[in-house]
Amino acid sequence: MAYLITREAIKEDDEGFLEASIADIIQRAKRKRQALKHGSQKLGMMRHLYILLDCSDSMSNQDLKPTRLLCTLKLLEIFIEEFFDQNPISQMGVIIMHNKRAEKISDLAGNARKHIKYTNSLNRTSLIGEPSLQNGLEMALSSLKLLPSHASREILVIMGSLTTCDPSDINVTIDNLKQEGVRCSVIGLAAEVHVCRKIANQTGGVYNVILDDSHFKDLLFQQVDPPPAAMCLESSLIKMGFPHQINVEGSDEPLTIHVDSTDESSKLTTGGYYCPQCFSKYCELPVECRACGLTLVSAPHLARSYHHLFSCLELCRTTF
Amino acid sequence: MNNIVLPSEKQPEITSTDETSLLVVILDSNPGQKMLRENPHVLTQCVDSVIAFANSHLMQKAQNKLAIMACHSKTSQFIYPGPSKPLDVRQVDGQYEAFTIVEKTTKHNLAKLLSSENSAVITESLLAGAIAMALCYIARIQRIKPPGAKLNCRILVVTGSGSSASQYMNYMNVFFTAQKQNVVIDVCALDQHLSLLQQGCDITNGLYLKVPQLQGLLQYLLWVFLPEPPIREKLVLPPPVKVDYRAACFCHRELIDIGFVCSVCLSIFCKFSPICTTCHTVFKVPAPLTVKPKKKKIKL
Repeated sequence: MAYLITREAIKEDDEGFLEASIADIIQRAKRKRQALKHGSQKLGMMRHLYILLDCSDSMSNQDLKPTRLLCTLKLLEIFIEEFFDQNPISQMGVIIMHNKRAEKISDLAGNARKHIKYTNSLNRTSLIGEPSLQNGLEMALSSLKLLPSHASREILVIMGSLTTCDPSDINVTIDNLKQEGVRCSVIGLAAEVHVCRKIANQTGGVYNVILDDSHFKDLLFQQVDPPPAAMCLESSLIKMGFPHQINVEGSDEPLTIHVDSTDESSKLTTGGYYCPQCFSKYCELPVECRACGLTLVSAPHLARSYHHLFSCLELCRTTF
Repeated sequence: MNNIVLPSEKQPEITSTDETSLLVVILDSNPGQKMLRENPHVLTQCVDSVIAFANSHLMQKAQNKLAIMACHSKTSQFIYPGPSKPLDVRQVDGQYEAFTIVEKTTKHNLAKLLSSENSAVITESLLAGAIAMALCYIARIQRIKPPGAKLNCRILVVTGSGSSASQYMNYMNVFFTAQKQNVVIDVCALDQHLSLLQQGCDITNGLYLKVPQLQGLLQYLLWVFLPEPPIREKLVLPPPVKVDYRAACFCHRELIDIGFVCSVCLSIFCKFSPICTTCHTVFKVPAPLTVKPKKKKIKL
């Protein structure tokens, strides 16, 4: 693995600092990954990712500072932001596993702020009992199953526990996941577990166990890049709307409440985006129109994803 | 080919912990621009205005930094600070020496650039490349600044060329990079409306202005682009124009409201077609609507 830092590899820089050296190692690992990317590979661009977070007793362990859970939540916050920055037309959901049950914290949606709000509220959850991998996977699967065939379905499990308490045979669940083309990746916080390895191998995901918190961050951020498309992923043309930005000030246009602001503090605004099909008003893009189901995006959102498809040439360092 | 000439490496004298602002002006000097083809003397006026504007920027604060680039038909170059050693000037007419250096260096290097390239072939300006070079320059200055110093960077593009869709990807990459690096991109369009660069201004929180009259260029530059981004919100500047974020379809290059997007390569089409022309994917054809055969009316 490119990441492993050995004592020999670390050298002090001119001023006697070590940070530059570690940054250099991470930078080199990044470059290596970049070089491995093929431009012609088919990628799953419209990602639908469920994060399956272990909230069992074992997450209160203090081997990551301050605790496993708090460290994970901190990293998840950065991850969610980066995920939506790099994949603006993708969706994400969060499920927690505790006390042998699975609980959905936030549903599949494309709004980063909402997810961050919900995950941040998790720091007060009671960490009790054992996790149930099967219940969690089944819950994610039941939601991912309903997606159209062109959507890339993914689950990312963050597992602190070494055990799982399942109601029935988990192999059946793994087979179902495989059948539906759901890619499951697992990040272990403690040690390698056979069933996690099996899930990742069978569904085409990756399984890694963290070394420390910066390795954890590195592993998490590898999930930001869109994965290669699953075999059964169908391609299709998706109808999308490109709304105009409308900003009327001081005109006779009535102030309207945005359709999407039902749960948060509703504001009356004049500007906004109108769905070209049904003229519902939204204050943010991208969004799926509540009234007619049309996906509304703006051109830069699509352009944001192009660099995954048409990757830049590798730059080389020259000295002047 | 390595034709990139960088400004001479010297330690920037950013000593105070005060905020410093770095302005990189990109001047489009491509002789293929429509307004320059009609009247080549316009360039002189533009250069004079830009120099006066640049000097005003330096005048605002002693720590302010400046770089001027020329974007030509085949290459982009830093013309201030130039690749050679800074000129040694004496005070002329009581003008502050630093201003004289800016003016002399800029004109000298620009003249050298213009005389070196006089091909008759009209090519579009490589603005995206020039912005990328400016971003690299900014990144280097940010890296070598002393710890604790705060450096606000912005780029001003002064151009009279038309918009070009062929550089779309380069433009977008540059805009998103600038957004990540917190670099504001301002655009002053001299001749034609530039929708792509306008999007870039919106993405990076910069200002876009299409100059109504070229004669007053300096006036517009001083009023609109001289104040720094944090101060701008306190001023009454031209209202933000509606940015057209509609996408252009890949097949006819027309702006569309509702289109079809390929799920594999995210190409945009205005009509349903069974094969993607970009990635050659064959799409699943939606089930055709089953039309019930109408019952024939029984003639009585």
